[in-house]
Amino acid sequence: MNDPYQVLGISESATDDEVKRAYRELARKYHPDNYHDNPLADLAQEKMKEINAAYEEINKRRSGGGRTTGASYAGGWQQSYGSGGSSSVFQQVRAAIQMGDIARAEALLNNTGDHNAEWNFLKGAVCYRRGWMDEAMRYYQTACQMEPNNPEYQRALNLMRNGSPYRPGGEPFGTLCAGNPCLTLCCAYTLCNGGYCCFI
Amino acid sequence: MFGYVRPPQDLPEEELKRFGRAYCGLCHALGERYGTAARFILNYDFTFLAILLSEKEEGSIHHGRCAAHPVHGRERLESSPALALAADESVILAYWQARDGVEDHDRFHGLKYRGASAVLERAYRKAAKARPEFDVSTRCQLNRLAELERENCPSMDRAADTFAVLLQGAAQAVNEPVRRRVLEQIFYHLGRWVYLVDAADDLKKDAASGNYNPVALRYGLTDGVWTEEARQSFAATLDHSIHMMATAFELWDFGVWTPVLETTLYTGLFRVGKAVLDGTFRGGGNKRETQEKNT
Repeated sequence: MNDPYQVLGISESATDDEVKRAYRELARKYHPDNYHDNPLADLAQEKMKEINAAYEEINKRRSGGGRTTGASYAGGWQQSYGSGGSSSVFQQVRAAIQMGDIARAEALLNNTGDHNAEWNFLKGAVCYRRGWMDEAMRYYQTACQMEPNNPEYQRALNLMRNGSPYRPGGEPFGTLCAGNPCLTLCCAYTLCNGGYCCFI
Repeated sequence: MFGYVRPPQDLPEEELKRFGRAYCGLCHALGERYGTAARFILNYDFTFLAILLSEKEEGSIHHGRCAAHPVHGRERLESSPALALAADESVILAYWQARDGVEDHDRFHGLKYRGASAVLERAYRKAAKARPEFDVSTRCQLNRLAELERENCPSMDRAADTFAVLLQGAAQAVNEPVRRRVLEQIFYHLGRWVYLVDAADDLKKDAASGNYNPVALRYGLTDGVWTEEARQSFAATLDHSIHMMATAFELWDFGVWTPVLETTLYTGLFRVGKAVLDGTFRGGGNKRETQEKNT
């Protein structure tokens, strides 16, 4: 294992508070919500594991080897494409997305006549993976309109709407709020989530 | 298409100087490999390409004079495989951009581009030989784009995908698999962002000339004027691409280049996007002038 202090980007003389702060900042950066549907999610997950292990190791060393605090972001990475009470075609689509085989997922969807809420949701997920963000947003919106109470579809749409949960220093950002003078103005019309998002 | 990616001016002096060394290093690599004429394609966008492809350390720094700085000279990065790669890819991109200009314009206005591509012709043939895969994929994507333009394709994602995939190809020559995946993702969304910002910048011009503009088609804009709803939706889609670039950027250690890249991704691109949307970015033919003034 790499030097745990190096992993968290701090020196060995850091106070407990500094350790905690460094850990939290990194955990926010590599948080699953920040990489939801991201084609590089597997790499972020690896990072997160490394950070969790480093944090636990430092805590163990500092408490004399006995106690571990249990890092708080261990879970949350199971992106649920394997689930859903869906038809067999949609299950195959979910499996293909899970495997990263976007072309197959798309071909299966294009051969399906019934464009129901789940079809729109999965089409959105395929577009998102591919980087077609405008169309991803529109398919997610359609899925949510067709089935407003579905938590899976709603979550995908909300994560897109709320924008990036991470930025160094934690200030709000976005194209419409670039440049300081308009920062306050911007947040007047945001669908804010924890104060990080700034568009819409 | 080029001229939108630039380092924020409020970057610390030391980092601006580092960026300057990469800029001069790329210029030198272009001159060394393709002759003086090829140096004129140099811009900030290609410098970013070079930085993204660079190793974690700067390597050795050379102080020397050149035509642009004959008296005091400038510091620049020594030639490296990354600069050579960036120079080759820049030539291919610039050549195809110039060719695209010839096809896009009528006889008279196309002259400027025709002149540029004649100068670049020789350089291009050499670069295409050095990087055949990148050349083929670039041509393939530009053909796709031409077809979408002919069809008047209303999907801005589909249109932007062509330039995004084209730029993504710039990572093909990177061997380390994780680094390649990270760069492919950054380049894809950088290409998407550049394409969309360029289309937004050209809204009025295209409305007047009747040229294809996927942003106008997507939002049904008339006379190149934004509606508030369209403006917000478009800003959101730009932000999504920046988010994808930033999340990819965080997964690789870019060493000494981290501050320049971080500030550009988390601040610079937003500012340019906003200026374009507000109509305060000097677009069209002035892009290059603005850039030169800032150098």
